Amino acid sequence: MAQETNEEKPDGARGSAFDVLMSFLKIGGSAFGGSTQAMVFREVVDRRQWMNEEQFIVGQAIAQVLPGANPVNLALYMGLKVAGGLGAAAAVFGMVIPAFCIIMAMGFAYTELSSLPVTSFVLHGVAAAGVGATVSQGLRTTRKLPKRASTFIVGAAVFITIGLLGWPTIPVVLVAVPLSIAWAYLEARGAA
Amino acid sequence: MDNRLLGLFVVFAPLSLLSFGGGQAIVADIQYQTVSVHGYLTNAQFADLFAISRAAPGPSTLIAALIGYQVAGFWGAIVACLGIYVPSSLLVYGIASWWQKHKISPLKIAVERGLAPVAIGLIFAGALAVVRAALANEPNMVIVALELVTLAICCSIFYFSKIGSYTVVFSTAGIFLLIHLLFM
Repeated sequence: MAQETNEEKPDGARGSAFDVLMSFLKIGGSAFGGSTQAMVFREVVDRRQWMNEEQFIVGQAIAQVLPGANPVNLALYMGLKVAGGLGAAAAVFGMVIPAFCIIMAMGFAYTELSSLPVTSFVLHGVAAAGVGATVSQGLRTTRKLPKRASTFIVGAAVFITIGLLGWPTIPVVLVAVPLSIAWAYLEARGAA
Repeated sequence: MDNRLLGLFVVFAPLSLLSFGGGQAIVADIQYQTVSVHGYLTNAQFADLFAISRAAPGPSTLIAALIGYQVAGFWGAIVACLGIYVPSSLLVYGIASWWQKHKISPLKIAVERGLAPVAIGLIFAGALAVVRAALANEPNMVIVALELVTLAICCSIFYFSKIGSYTVVFSTAGIFLLIHLLFM
């Protein structure tokens, strides 16, 4: 396991496809309740230290903006960055296979399991832990981003419109992404 | 090729490229295609498979595997998964490898800086959506409080420690199982 610090890392491959496979097999089998991206963050940034928060959030944003399941896109982006094409394949395989096996088993056991109150109770607990991971990742990444008004205004606008007001995600993202990129471009030019 | 296998691939492959923002965007289309257009499933069967896909780990688009299995057995599950994941993955692979090799330019920096706050907003909005969905159907205030405390404790563990997510997730499941056995 790579145990270097996050600082001063060059861009490019810095892990083996086998390490990538092992990491994503673990995530694929344990990321319940919509918290997969926070689990990937935990593994890739905190434990393996393959990249820092800023590098991760770029990959997460690209994974969210493009079509496809976010966890699969995210795995592909991270595997590619860490170990090239083989790493991308290993990450997607690791993300999908355990979840595929579990969901098929659940499909068989569903009629018996779903009638037990204990099942939904335990799943609620697991979902709460997943949200905890997600909020933690959001806070950690926010802390690392440049302290500029645009960062907070765009982040807050997306959260308020989608999270609080319940606006549909796709149109909000389609408007917010170009505006946010244009703002960042103008800000950089103004500073130069 | 078996007609049903080909049919599954034809249903899921185009939806793969339309699934902006993940599985939620295409659930209604999957239902329309598999229930109304092809008659592979009844509405009640679809609702059951949807519930399983929400409870299982991993991407919610794995509902494709369950539908594929219902329609054409094990190979149906495999073909449906290939249909839902391969087209979008090829697209992401192309764009991501181009992006990671692309030289640093003012435009690239602006795109990365501009995307980051949108992603952050989506992270917090997603967290809120899960909390709302969980609490909406829970009349018992003690359980609501238990879930919010669990959320806060797990958030602190993730923020301040290096404990792995699978350890936290399975410990939480064990503790909730224990609470259920002892008090409910």
